[in-house]
Amino acid sequence: MAFGFKRTIQSKGPDRFIINLRDDLREVIAAVCDDVLAALDDENSPERDPMLRRVFPVAHASDESVNEAYRDLVHSDLLRTRREALERVSATARDTELDRATLETWMVGLNTVRLVLGTRLDVSEDGFPQLEPDDPELPAWALYEFLGVLVGMVVDALARTV
Amino acid sequence: MTSPTAADVAPVEVQEPSIDTTLKVDQPWIVLVWNDPINLMSYVTYVLQKVFGYSHEKAESLMLDVHEKGRAVVSNGSKEKAELDVFRLHEHGLWATMQQD
Repeated sequence: MAFGFKRTIQSKGPDRFIINLRDDLREVIAAVCDDVLAALDDENSPERDPMLRRVFPVAHASDESVNEAYRDLVHSDLLRTRREALERVSATARDTELDRATLETWMVGLNTVRLVLGTRLDVSEDGFPQLEPDDPELPAWALYEFLGVLVGMVVDALARTV
Repeated sequence: MTSPTAADVAPVEVQEPSIDTTLKVDQPWIVLVWNDPINLMSYVTYVLQKVFGYSHEKAESLMLDVHEKGRAVVSNGSKEKAELDVFRLHEHGLWATMQQD
C-alpha cells in the first residue's frame, strides 16, 4: 500500500507489527472510522439501515422472542465494543507500530466499516460492478475495495503469527 | 464472501467438513454462520479460530462450508452458551444466528 518494496504490514514476532502506509491513506482510515462513529450516534443517518442489519444483527432467523431477549442482553455491549474499536483504530491510524491486540482491533474495526459500506452499496458475490468514470458511487466502491485489501493484509499478518 | 487478494485463493484440496462429529445430541441449541458477500474468506477463518479456538484446518473447513452451502453449524450447547457464541460472532461482524436443534 506504500507502493514501494516494503510489505504493508511487517510482523516482528507475534506481538509487534510495523505498518507501512502512506500518510494520506492513514487519514482515510481515521476518517472512515470517525464517519461510522458519528453514524452510530445519529438516528437520522443514511447509514442507519445497513448498520442495524449488519452491525446489530438479529440472533434468530424467525423467533422474535429470542431476538428481543438477545437485544436486551447484548445491544449495549455490542454498541460499546463497536465504539471502542472504531475509536481505537481512529486514534492509532497514524502509528507506525502496533501490538497484536491493537492490530486485531484494526481488523474488527475496519471490517465494521466494510460491513456498513458494503451493505449500503448492496455488494453481491459478483464483486466490483462495471461503473462509468463519473458514476457517483465510484469513490465509495474504491474505498470499499481499499478496505478489503487492507483487512486482508491485517488478517494475513495475524494468521501467519498465530 | 470475497477474496480480493492473491493470498486468499482457495486451497486446491477441499476437505468435506463433517458437522455430525462436532454436534452432541444432548445439547439443544446450535449456532449457525451464514454466507455473506462482504466478509473475506480469510477473515471468517481467522475469527472462527479466535472465537472458538479451532485449528486453522477446522476453521477453514467450516468457512468453506459456509461459502459453498450457504451456512454451517459452528457450535452447539445450552441456550446461554449459544447466546454468548452468537454475541462473540456478531462482535466480529459475522452473520450468525442460533436455533433449537
